[in-house]
Amino acid sequence: MKPRNLAIVLTTGLALTATACGGDSSGSGGSGGVSITVACRPAKTAPKLRDAWDDDVATFEKAHPGVSVKSTDQQPCFDPKTFAAKLAGGQMETVFVVPVTNYGDVIAKRQAKDITASTGVVKNFGDIKQDVRGMVTKDGKVYGVPNVSYSVGLVYNRALFAKAGLDPDAPPRTWEEVRAAAKKIADLGDGYVGYGEYGGGNTGGWHFAQALFSRGGEMVTDGKAAFNSAEGKAVLHNLHDMRWKDDSVGSRVLIGWESLMQQMAAGKTGMMLGAPDVITDVTQKFQGKAADYGITGVPGGKASLAGGEAYMINPKASPSQTKAALQWIDFQFNTPGKGRFDFARGKANGEAVGVPNNDYMGDSPTGKAIAEGRKANAVLPVKNYEPYVDAAPGITPKPEPEKAQELYAVLDVAMSAVLTRESADVDKLLADAESKANSILARR
Amino acid sequence: MRTLTVKPKPKQQVATERRVAPERQVVPRRRPPTKRRRAARRNLTAYGFLCAALFCFALFAWWPIVREVVLSFQQTNLVDEPSWVGLDNFRTVVNDPAFGEAWRNTFVFTLLALLCGYVVPFAVAVVLNELRHARAYLRFVVYLPVMLPPIVSVLLFRWFYDPGPGLFNQALDAVGLPTLAWLDSTSTALFSLVIVSTWMNLGAGVLIYLAALQNIPGELYEAAELDGAGILKRIRHVTIPQTRLILTLMLMLQIVATMQVFIEPYMLTGGGPENATVTVAYLMYQYAFVYGGNYGAGSALGLMLMLVLLAVAAVQLRLTREEK
Amino acid sequence: MPNTTDRRPAATRTIVSPLELRSRRGSRIYWALLTATVTVFTLVFVFPLYWMVTGAMKTGEEIARTPPTLFPESPDFSVFADAWELFDIGTLLRNTLFYAVGAWLFALAVDVSAAYALSKLRPMFGNAILAGMLATLMIPPIVVMIPAYITVTDVPILGWHLLNSPWAIWFPVAANGFNVFLLKRFFDSIPNELLEAAEIDGVPPWRVLWSIILPISRPILGVVSLFTVVLVFKDFVWPLLVLPDSEKMTLSVGLSQTAGAVTQNQIMAGLVIASIPMIIVFFLFQRSIMAGLTAGSLKG
Repeated sequence: MKPRNLAIVLTTGLALTATACGGDSSGSGGSGGVSITVACRPAKTAPKLRDAWDDDVATFEKAHPGVSVKSTDQQPCFDPKTFAAKLAGGQMETVFVVPVTNYGDVIAKRQAKDITASTGVVKNFGDIKQDVRGMVTKDGKVYGVPNVSYSVGLVYNRALFAKAGLDPDAPPRTWEEVRAAAKKIADLGDGYVGYGEYGGGNTGGWHFAQALFSRGGEMVTDGKAAFNSAEGKAVLHNLHDMRWKDDSVGSRVLIGWESLMQQMAAGKTGMMLGAPDVITDVTQKFQGKAADYGITGVPGGKASLAGGEAYMINPKASPSQTKAALQWIDFQFNTPGKGRFDFARGKANGEAVGVPNNDYMGDSPTGKAIAEGRKANAVLPVKNYEPYVDAAPGITPKPEPEKAQELYAVLDVAMSAVLTRESADVDKLLADAESKANSILARR
Repeated sequence: MRTLTVKPKPKQQVATERRVAPERQVVPRRRPPTKRRRAARRNLTAYGFLCAALFCFALFAWWPIVREVVLSFQQTNLVDEPSWVGLDNFRTVVNDPAFGEAWRNTFVFTLLALLCGYVVPFAVAVVLNELRHARAYLRFVVYLPVMLPPIVSVLLFRWFYDPGPGLFNQALDAVGLPTLAWLDSTSTALFSLVIVSTWMNLGAGVLIYLAALQNIPGELYEAAELDGAGILKRIRHVTIPQTRLILTLMLMLQIVATMQVFIEPYMLTGGGPENATVTVAYLMYQYAFVYGGNYGAGSALGLMLMLVLLAVAAVQLRLTREEK
Repeated sequence: MPNTTDRRPAATRTIVSPLELRSRRGSRIYWALLTATVTVFTLVFVFPLYWMVTGAMKTGEEIARTPPTLFPESPDFSVFADAWELFDIGTLLRNTLFYAVGAWLFALAVDVSAAYALSKLRPMFGNAILAGMLATLMIPPIVVMIPAYITVTDVPILGWHLLNSPWAIWFPVAANGFNVFLLKRFFDSIPNELLEAAEIDGVPPWRVLWSIILPISRPILGVVSLFTVVLVFKDFVWPLLVLPDSEKMTLSVGLSQTAGAVTQNQIMAGLVIASIPMIIVFFLFQRSIMAGLTAGSLKG
């Protein structure tokens, strides 16, 4: 073989392999069937959840002959890092999840399919709370099926409360009470932290926003930063004093969102801001003792940061794929007693059933059915979560501000400052953050 | 990623010194093709061998450099056509409060890393070169961390730095010194990252200097000694001048290497506390992959970093040329 | 073994003369220095690794104890199995080995043929091409991370999507000017007479490369191979971006993703397992690595 022939063979070989490796999003299953890819299969680190998911896929395929479902288990399930590239590269699943923070962005960039005409496939779609549905609706068109909605509360360790001589059934309602309780817990001795808080990795700013809302403050009004206010200062002053006067928030500047839950699970941290799903993670992922954890409404109780997610459909999906995808969403995520709401199975698998971590259906018939199923199979002490459920109606849910991640990065600076420097000047920190935030908000 | 400049080895593998024979008598077995035809054929063959490399370089080395410049003036979401935005990205980047901090941190980090990662290895190499025992062991252990994947070193040190049960504070405590906040304080965070970085990379420098030191002819020292030079004088007048070239080279390589610090802030501090450890590379990453895909601003920042590095490289070329 | 010139007999004099060493004071200082160096090196470079291994064998309670224990009370090896499961190290290791071996074969094939062409076939613009390849050394990969990433997600003209594909690692690794440069300089030192004789006998160029050049180039091929494999094993940012799928991740990225969700002793166990392959490589190829580092006389 002549050398240049060899070279040609070599390059065509390369080309072939590379194209073979290239992503291919839409495939049609075997004989006249349809195949879809779905995101969010539980990771290998949670074998039981994973098996349950696989069983659900099998059940679903049996009920819908001709539909084949392939799951992906990329963690985290929504990765902002690769989201745009996956779409551009045609590697996005047919069904993918989007957190509430990114709804606007994804819909504006036309990265999700308009499913207005086929929402009926999801039988209980109408039972989803109106305001939650409103978030995935733009100009009267629906772009997703909400799947979770929660608002932040205060997660606390009841056992530590008892140990410190506090009443676990009367958790703090105001930030003053939080501070007093934290001091008592920290006084238990070395290694005890009264109230855990983040200082970086964008989680610091995120928690700042939560504390700000709870006091009735605002992050952004009319496209301008609004957190340099009495409420904002109160948030930072309170944290600064807890750190330096009471020494009740520990000395670590935590940066990863998992780090605080890990500490919570270790049983030496008294309180943290968090939605009910924090309890699920603390008890399941980090092996905390389920009976020890309770949750109550956010201190201050003015408003609470609402979080949640929705499943959306790949804009490149064919009509038959779209239908199959919605059938999957209906079966797995929106049917009481099935899929993720199969609480009986969850109980058998030792899942932390019982956390009121999702009220996206509100008081609708479906919502009630789900709540009953949860209660009937609860393995967790449901009583521990009553304070949260009782407080919920009085607290206004608030969505995240625009350009949330960038604002959080700016506020990380203020949060880490009050946690690491006794000399931190709250007024200056907030003034700086405000001007930074305004320059970010002023950009297109 | 640190590459080392390696000069070709002397030709000792290939036996025989080359005989230069421009006018060799070749007995052709068939009518020689014309010169031009032969040249054309040789070129064709050569490009056949080159094409795979040209493909890889064109798409994955040269094109990204061009694309960085283009992207700096564009805004793209990867799905629709990119739009031209003039100097917007640069404005975004320069007006970002973290911009100044990132550059300052990067330069401070580079300076600190030069102290730790440039002066120290040289001193260590000088000492090692004097020792007559345990040489193999010392070389082995000093290079061991270089072989570890950086993530291992970084996570290991994260545990050492833990303010509670972490090894460092426990050690300080044991000898009665005050403990430090390490990663959790603006005054020590950056320095803590430098320590990790130095630990990971020291070995390479040491071994390279060691090789250079071993090439210094002993007669020079003897002569210096006869002139009555003490040990420090010998180092100043013999050792350093003799290794000047490699010292210059390594200085530049170190600067280029530390300019791209990423994994340390990414894994250990998330850029905090108070942006004390945000580096330029980390900020680029934030723009492109954390703040909802601002690829244009990230590229604009990358372009600035590229220009700084090219300036460093130009200085390096000039210095080495002067040496020669 | 390339470059044996730096293996000079230990008798060669250095800064301190043998005479000074033999004096009583000199030898005292020498032994003190030797002891100090060995101690400090062991503490600084070996002890952290000891701490990693023993930390893995402590229980979750013991590893968090203050003051720490120097030796695990009841060494527990099951944590390695746990870490293997939790981090899914089997998959990660398999992926990383696959990327490393593939990168090695592909980069060697591409760079050797390029270096051969530039060195022996001397095409037009050969020098310009080499200059272009060397120029990329001035620009470290992280600086062009964003455009490179965008290129990989959608390769221009060809329209390939290489996200989560091993080619996202292999193509950029092969575009390594440093390897081409090293190989070319070595090939340059091979006398042309050897090749001309073959050419006259009508041996085609690829046979010349395969049967004449490669056998004598073994040392440099070893150095380039090691560099490539080590590079792939140590890289972090690039695989973090282009291989996000947990089934396709490299070991380094996988460790960083899961480290937040497991206990401290499990992290340590994961780190120990992740260090083993590279330490084995280091043991086996120590001499090549050291030689590669200092390849050639540094006097230019």
